[in-house]
Amino acid sequence: MFTTSVRFAVLFLILLFSLPLPATAEKKLTVYTVNYPLHYFAERIGGNQINVVFPAPASQDPAFWKPDEAMVREYQKADLIILNGAGYAKWTQKVSLPMLRMVDTSAVFKNTLINVDNDVTHSHGPSGDHSHGGTAFTTWLDFSQAALQAEAIYKALSRKLPETEAVFAQNFEMLKKDLLELDRAMETMSAHKPGLPLFASHPIYQYMARRYNLNLKMLTWEPDEDPGAAQWNHFQGLIQEHKAMWMVWEGEPLPESSTTLMKMGIKSTVFNPCFARPEKGDFLSVMQQNLNNMATVFIK
Amino acid sequence: MMDSIYLAWRYLNYNKARTAVLVTCITIIAVLPIALEILLNESERQLSLRAQSSPLLIGAKGSALDLVMNSLYFSDEVPETITMDAAQQVMATDLAAPIPLYIRFTARDFPIVGTSLDYFDFRQLKIAQGELFAMLGQCVIGAEVSQKLNLKPGDYIVSSPETLFNIAGVYPLKMKISGVLAPAHSADDLGVFVDITTAWVIHGLGHGHQDVTTTTDSSVILKKEVGNVTANAKLMQYTEITEENIDSFHLHGDPADFPLTAVLAIPYDEKSGTILQGRYLKKEIPYQVVQPKEVIDTLMANIFKIRTVLDAVIMIVATATLLALVLVFSLSLRLREREIDVIFKLGCSRATIARLLSAEIAIIVCMSGLVCAGLLVLISYYDQMLVRNVFM
Repeated sequence: MFTTSVRFAVLFLILLFSLPLPATAEKKLTVYTVNYPLHYFAERIGGNQINVVFPAPASQDPAFWKPDEAMVREYQKADLIILNGAGYAKWTQKVSLPMLRMVDTSAVFKNTLINVDNDVTHSHGPSGDHSHGGTAFTTWLDFSQAALQAEAIYKALSRKLPETEAVFAQNFEMLKKDLLELDRAMETMSAHKPGLPLFASHPIYQYMARRYNLNLKMLTWEPDEDPGAAQWNHFQGLIQEHKAMWMVWEGEPLPESSTTLMKMGIKSTVFNPCFARPEKGDFLSVMQQNLNNMATVFIK
Repeated sequence: MMDSIYLAWRYLNYNKARTAVLVTCITIIAVLPIALEILLNESERQLSLRAQSSPLLIGAKGSALDLVMNSLYFSDEVPETITMDAAQQVMATDLAAPIPLYIRFTARDFPIVGTSLDYFDFRQLKIAQGELFAMLGQCVIGAEVSQKLNLKPGDYIVSSPETLFNIAGVYPLKMKISGVLAPAHSADDLGVFVDITTAWVIHGLGHGHQDVTTTTDSSVILKKEVGNVTANAKLMQYTEITEENIDSFHLHGDPADFPLTAVLAIPYDEKSGTILQGRYLKKEIPYQVVQPKEVIDTLMANIFKIRTVLDAVIMIVATATLLALVLVFSLSLRLREREIDVIFKLGCSRATIARLLSAEIAIIVCMSGLVCAGLLVLISYYDQMLVRNVFM
């Protein structure tokens, strides 16, 4: 009888201690982000104090992904919603999210955001002309801006969990150091051949071009699609005005595309903006690889 | 004694009209001041409670009372508008958490409250049925709105045009009800809550329509130029935001310039609140910051002054009515002179006659007391609702 009671008591204690401690479970913040770079920054700063969620499927560009109502409600429940700002993830403007739990990471440099005004405008009624165009949103490709975005995340996390502010500060400083090293490296590299004409396959490198003084002409080509005869013809005209020897792609281009470019005397390289979670590595390793690729353009 | 009461009761029962008039007069005299006291106390409680729980309000310079009454109790008086930028400025100070408010429109006579989801957390409002709004064009209704209009999640409510005669005005918006709030016993029970962006769509600052740059219907195009398409009035705008057309909805302009009636600012601590108030003291700042409690205290002080006057008036009317009652009784005694004489001749003593008359008065007073108690119980039970519907 006594042995059975002892067994039950031991079993009870094992079960009790195997349960997660409620205090620890409660303290873990749930942070939702709208793209992978912000997810990476939040994870680096928050460490194991927070649970970072980036629900967009890896196959989709998060800038144009649209969550369903159930997913919007998951975002509503988050302790923090980290936004890129600059008009990124337009779906956030058509849903209801708690304003006080949202962090616009680019708000601090909102006055220097780049407007993209190549959209067709229309007008009707008394409101006059208007455009549905927007703002360039790949803000993190200027690594100094990326550091500011990381700082906004650090501040928001510290406000939410002031007792772990010291940990966040330490993690943030390390991330900032990494980002500013990328910034310096890119700046130094581009200074080797100032004004070097370059083509970019997609209009996503505005901030990078501005920060690192790149003479970049951006097209609207997709790396996994053939641009088509019309685009190639148009490109023939462009290379007469913009005598570039390199095309910067956002992803590995089709072999046919790079071969055709090679025939025109234009080599291909990749600068992955890292919108979505990479199959291998993380944001930092992808950016490091991007810099290695750019080194072939500017140094070798 | 029981005989006297029985005879008095039979007499009063026979003269029903006279009895009813006397009971009504006494009831009114007794109920009026007590009911007024109950309702004023309840209105004071409701006003003060909400004002105390709303630390600071930022609005356009002008009537502080209009600002508070509109923002806290959703009154019809719309204060001058400010812009969303005011809320962003508060956020940037890091001194307080701003909650935008745009309370201007109505839906079936209930105020539409444009705000952010934070409002529900701040006021600790709970959802009784359904969920909070998630998508543009959805709304959450207060408990009384649901009860009075018999609406539930999944039903629709249409915003009312500001004026019936403005045929060129904004289209009403058909809003889907995503949830119903649990009774809060405050002005929130009477609100139709929408996201601030939905409120701007109701205003006409945002809308949805077919894409004029890709449409094949040339009859909606007035002029097509490089970089601009001008549509004509035939271009149909959507009056309901659905999953199919939500992508076509867009705002015309920068949301920072869009209107708000107020910003509810919740300072992070007392010091932050004081610093924030100090920043709005400069003359050149077009906003005012008010402490709702102070405004309501001033209002209540005025109400108390009015109450003193009302009490005096009631006292005078009560005295006059009592005198009239004495007159009615004395006249009725004179009218009943023959009847009393017969009772006397039948052998009743003067004391018995006095008992009979006293019993009549006692029965009338008791009846009035009963009616009074019933009315006061009813008023006490419905005081919150009465105050919200009659006083606010």
